[in-house]
Amino acid sequence: MAIKIEKTFQVKEPIEKVWSLLSDPYKVVTCVQGAQITEQIDDRNYKGSIRVKVGPSVTDYKGEIQIVHLDQEAYEIEILGKGQDVRGKGSASMKMTGKLRALEDGGTEVTSISELNVVGILAQMGARVITEVSNIMFEKFTSNFRQQLQASETAGGEASQTHAPEPISGVSVAMSALKAAFTREKK
Amino acid sequence: MHKTSPEIGGMGHSIKRKEDLRFTQGKGNYVDDIHLPGMVYGHLVRSPYAHARLKSVNAEKAKALPGVLAIITGEDLAKAGLSWMPTLSGDKQMVLATGKVLFQSQEVAFVVAEDQYTAADAAELVEVDYEELPVLVDPHKALDPKAPILRDDRDDKTNHIFHWEVGDKQATDKTFKDAPVKAKVDAIFQRCHPAPLETCGCVADFNRATERLTLYLTSQAPHAHRTLFALVGGIPEQNIRVVSPDIGGGFGNKVPIYPGYVCAVVASLTLGVPVKWMETRSENLQSTGFARDYHMTAEIAADNSGKVKALRVKTLADHGAFNAAAQPTKFPAGIFSICTGSYDFPTAFCEVDGVYTNKAPGGIAYRCSFRITEAAYLIERAVDVLAGELKMDPAELRRKNFIAPKQFPYKSALGWTYDSGDYEAAMNKALKMVSYEELRKEQAEKRKKGELMGIGISSFTEAVGAGPAHTFDIVGIKMFDSCEIRIHPTGKAICRMGTKSQGQGHETTYAQIVAQELGIPATDVMVEEGDTDTAPYGLGTYASRSTPTSGAATAIAAKKIRDKARKIAAFLLEASEEDLEWEPGKFFVKGAPSKAKTIQEIAFAAYTNVPPGLEAGLEAVNYYDPPNLTFPFGTYICVVDIDKGTGEIKVRRFVAVDDCGNIINPMIVEGQIHGGLTEGLAIAFMQLIDYDENGNVQGGTFMDYLLPTAVETPNWETDKTCTPSPHHPFGAKGIGESPNVGSPAAFVNAVVDALSHLGVKHIDMPITPWKVWNILKENGITA
Repeated sequence: MAIKIEKTFQVKEPIEKVWSLLSDPYKVVTCVQGAQITEQIDDRNYKGSIRVKVGPSVTDYKGEIQIVHLDQEAYEIEILGKGQDVRGKGSASMKMTGKLRALEDGGTEVTSISELNVVGILAQMGARVITEVSNIMFEKFTSNFRQQLQASETAGGEASQTHAPEPISGVSVAMSALKAAFTREKK
Repeated sequence: MHKTSPEIGGMGHSIKRKEDLRFTQGKGNYVDDIHLPGMVYGHLVRSPYAHARLKSVNAEKAKALPGVLAIITGEDLAKAGLSWMPTLSGDKQMVLATGKVLFQSQEVAFVVAEDQYTAADAAELVEVDYEELPVLVDPHKALDPKAPILRDDRDDKTNHIFHWEVGDKQATDKTFKDAPVKAKVDAIFQRCHPAPLETCGCVADFNRATERLTLYLTSQAPHAHRTLFALVGGIPEQNIRVVSPDIGGGFGNKVPIYPGYVCAVVASLTLGVPVKWMETRSENLQSTGFARDYHMTAEIAADNSGKVKALRVKTLADHGAFNAAAQPTKFPAGIFSICTGSYDFPTAFCEVDGVYTNKAPGGIAYRCSFRITEAAYLIERAVDVLAGELKMDPAELRRKNFIAPKQFPYKSALGWTYDSGDYEAAMNKALKMVSYEELRKEQAEKRKKGELMGIGISSFTEAVGAGPAHTFDIVGIKMFDSCEIRIHPTGKAICRMGTKSQGQGHETTYAQIVAQELGIPATDVMVEEGDTDTAPYGLGTYASRSTPTSGAATAIAAKKIRDKARKIAAFLLEASEEDLEWEPGKFFVKGAPSKAKTIQEIAFAAYTNVPPGLEAGLEAVNYYDPPNLTFPFGTYICVVDIDKGTGEIKVRRFVAVDDCGNIINPMIVEGQIHGGLTEGLAIAFMQLIDYDENGNVQGGTFMDYLLPTAVETPNWETDKTCTPSPHHPFGAKGIGESPNVGSPAAFVNAVVDALSHLGVKHIDMPITPWKVWNILKENGITA
């Protein structure tokens, strides 16, 4: 099941500062709830994991993250993540393209296009639920991203990477997704 | 035929269903109600991938969970030669995966634990390492040279399963070449699922002391399953007892043998305790026998007056990962060649190709005689498309081409011999009931005002009651069926059958046949089915075959008993047999009605005062091999109104005129029609087991696979005509599947008719409001 999510949001921080966050896998990953980088292979390739809990179903994806494309000049980054659930419940891959644009007021516009491909138990839950789960995950990412920007300001540029990753909250995500699915117009 | 009193309740009486007393009080006894001492529970680990190499299965963590007793993997089964099993269609299927998995939800390991919750938790802990492989979802790409070959276990390195053709290709092609009028429709009968209320499951109980296996099974065919377990599992057949207790709906879904059954048996053999395995709802939808998935093209050649000259049909059949359909051996595409329908086609040609894809296996006959629903839908759609080409009324076109009553027995261009029929009479009755002429006027007026209304006709022909032994067998076992009747000394009776009710009311209807033939009140006749230790051998219940086969066997066995009863009566009355006359319930001396012996008195004498030279007892058995199929038919008419703003379809009226020959219980027949029409409605408008491009099931829960409720269901208006089958002992034909076979085309024809002025010729099922709304939008129609 392929889902494409395109989001644009604005932050008040200048483009260079936002870029330093977006182009650093260690920092970006902390914005994704439940995700962590476990090993760096080289400057473009990492190993990592993400835990997603939807209702009663917990999926622990372990896999590889690759920076496919990094353009310092154009402020563009393309990251490809691929993982399999450790208990063999399925796999997921995500291609995320991030692009920054400096705004006149000194802030930055972040455009992100995520193409998510899910196979397995999660994908069986139906397009409506999984799309909502992805939307909620992305909203979390956005708010974490903003927080990271602010935190780096107060903590002198180093984001805290020491806390253990919390899985994406199970019941609440499932409930919001179900609610969204039921209240939306059915196709 | 004698008319029996309501007290006796023979043929034609709407007596209440005997089984409903327990069903309506929650006293049914289904497989999941069975609790045996020491029973443990199984749970299947299933593949999340549609196509992947299976690298390793690690059960260490699961085994360590307290309460877990055993974990069986494909490798374990392979050591016993049981990792694959034969299907009912001559293919083989993995019991538990080895090497690779071929569809999402495929069975990978079987966890056994002390309770079902522990079993489910442990299944979560089984770690399986997969390597994903390219997925084949679209059957049209299955034969593409670039397509991945799914079944590397087969010698033939192709995804092609079979090619089957019937008819005269040359003559058909020639007719098409010269024909002035041609009509063509590409129609998909989508993948759907019977979704019986009770899912599949079993309790396997192997007793190490007696070496007997008792298998409580959700089985529509307990005897055939016993034989298959004996042949495949190597257990001596006398040591296997299959019991089908109450079954909560089957619709073909409970004909195949599923991996879960085999795993439960293996677990019970290994552990020496009873093992229960019951599917969850999603497991049922995702892994057990789906139905249809036929991608069909029909072309009709006709002359300018609308007389049909030839039919050409080409079909691609998606069978999923294994060919686990349950077709008679000689019919890889079932009775699909009945696709000439109710019409007198001088020539026809039909071909079907079956292919493998990375989807759940099946292709079972969902309330259907082996692909007949697909055939009936196709021809009834094609005839409407032809009517559109000719700008002719669809009722008039049908009337022009019906096989006439005087043509029966009718040999169809594709080789079937129809027993009897009067198609025009059924259609005329339906047209009158629905006030067809007025509806057409109303439609014309509404169209002027821009309102959308449609009328859909389906004049289907069925072929049920498989079947004659010379033509029909499943894995070699001929498709006869049976009945054994024993009359007790007090004149009450027990009937044991080779069939198995799943809710059809057999306990009532078979009793009525005995009541008709012997005059023993139906309430005094106990009908028992489903226990292979006691019932005579039979092929089970599906394909509307119970009345045509076991019903006939019941009548014949009862007649044998009546012949013996005549001898006993003659002895008791001191008269000669020839001087006795029969009326339901007694023999009397001709001309002296007071000199009579009731069947109850005769039964008592059979055990207490046996005539010299005659065996004691009063019982008989019959194995009935029908000389031909029976051919029920009917006309259904659907009237729909479509909301221009939302695309929502409202079924305003639905008229169903059925002809199933002589009727045993009119109320049960009507109930069957209501149920079948409701299923047809769901297929036409609501149901699809869909897959995304990675082979993820998109119809695997009741949130995505919709069931019809009272809210969606319109008022069904039913009536009948009666054209008895000339070869059936009491002229019956079978009804269970007619409404499901005949109705989808009526619904679709109605919607297409409502939109025909926009140039719409066909819409594939399920016709959702979304599809209709898009068509309206494309045509600039808004509320």
